[in-house]
Amino acid sequence: MQKLTGWLGLAERFLRDPAFEDRRRFLKSLTLFQDLRFTELGHLAQCMHSRVYHEGESLFLQGDVGRALFILKSGKIELSQMEEEGRPRSISIIGPGEFFGEMSILEQLPRSATATAAERSEVLLLYRAQIDSILHYHPRIGVSVMTRLAQLLSARLRRANLALLEKPAS
Amino acid sequence: MTSERPSLPVIPILIIVAAGLYVAYLLGRTLVPFLLAFTVAYMVNPLVNAVETRGVRRFHIVLSFYLLAALLLYLLAQHLLPALINGTADLQADMPGYFTKIHNFLSELPRRVAKNVPHAILPMAESFISKTYASCAEQMERLPSYLMGIFPILSLFFLVPFITFFLLLDGPDLTAAIIQACPGRHVERALHLISEIDSSLGNYLRGILIVALAITAASYVGLWALGVEAAAPIALLAGVSSFVPYLGAIMGALVGGTVAAIQFSSLTAGFKVVLLFTAIRLADESFLQPSIARYSVRLHPLIFLFSLMAGGELFGFVGLLFAVPAACVIKSLLQVSWDWYLSEVDWKGTIASPPAIPYT
Repeated sequence: MQKLTGWLGLAERFLRDPAFEDRRRFLKSLTLFQDLRFTELGHLAQCMHSRVYHEGESLFLQGDVGRALFILKSGKIELSQMEEEGRPRSISIIGPGEFFGEMSILEQLPRSATATAAERSEVLLLYRAQIDSILHYHPRIGVSVMTRLAQLLSARLRRANLALLEKPAS
Repeated sequence: MTSERPSLPVIPILIIVAAGLYVAYLLGRTLVPFLLAFTVAYMVNPLVNAVETRGVRRFHIVLSFYLLAALLLYLLAQHLLPALINGTADLQADMPGYFTKIHNFLSELPRRVAKNVPHAILPMAESFISKTYASCAEQMERLPSYLMGIFPILSLFFLVPFITFFLLLDGPDLTAAIIQACPGRHVERALHLISEIDSSLGNYLRGILIVALAITAASYVGLWALGVEAAAPIALLAGVSSFVPYLGAIMGALVGGTVAAIQFSSLTAGFKVVLLFTAIRLADESFLQPSIARYSVRLHPLIFLFSLMAGGELFGFVGLLFAVPAACVIKSLLQVSWDWYLSEVDWKGTIASPPAIPYT
């Protein structure tokens, strides 16, 4: 029996794709995809495109029309906004496991900030059309992702409201 | 940090596209096995992807598919090959009979025509028939050279699966390499372009495969019901020809009609076959095309016709086969360029109306 288990383990290791498994494990660790099952994560991993950005390389500029959600796998991304005087002002630093550009999944609006790689970073891109395709062919995945996204946006909105309330009236 | 917004590099893009088209024109027939392999890979890829979601290595999946296909081919050959050999032997044995039938049919034709056509036209009809017969006989003499011409096509049976194997295996890596090579800020646009081409071309290719299978099945059933001999090869010919729009029904009607007219020595039998293929074409137009075209790229009939003519003129039969998919790609490129222009120069996207009720 032990021998059979050993053989099965060996066969599984031979058949399994370690890079695919790695991506799937990473996706499972994200809040956005926590409710998804094994195969569903596989579908999602297949829809995503990976790209490495070098330090100082722009992912998008403020005003570009957004069409993809970015998930940072490794590295650091800086988000900045242009001030009225034309100088960039850093508004946030994104770390591994965090995502940004999620509004483009919901509506195609110009980006509100510029994203630049602060160091060598690996990013996963989920393009809007892929989400549409997932919603059409795998509605359970689509509904789960959209529900999580709505919860996260709601939490961000709540935080923004609190910040506004705490701000002293000018 | 860069703050200036680079504009669309129209001229370099146009130069690259024009150079690509010119190279394709120069390479001509060398591209055929690659284009066919690309088409096959495109159709099989969703199956490979479906298995890959389970976490299995792509190499094992593609290899398993090939082994399965080889097994299926072997089993088919076991059953079909004897039937094909017997069929060919029967055809060889019946050939003199068919030639006599054709000769008798054509000899009878002037008498039949004379019954219905005014005498003034009769000499013209006789001359036309004798010319047609002479031309047919001449073509029959050239048959061996035509058959020899098929041999280069046979090499495709080995080349196409070979190229398809690597396309299926390395397709995702190729896309990843394109995305990696794309300048950082244009990755979203590159994805937009790939996605547009993928959806329109994928749906078109899968659509024509469904149409070809449906036409083959319907033609076989119809020809079998009419009692036409060699129903299977004629149905297969109609199905394969349907990859070129409208050609399937035309080929089926022409070949099937001629075979039926000769077999039954009656023009009515040939006419019935023509009616059958007209009905198949109308059914395809009414029931299949609306559901297939829903998700694929929509081409204006004139652009459709122009692309077919241009493809045929530049690359011959192969050009006819790939004219419409190429037009799909060009339309997707233009569509994406237009979206690009709108987002860069003249953005008019939709903004959801601001909430009237505050967040609660």
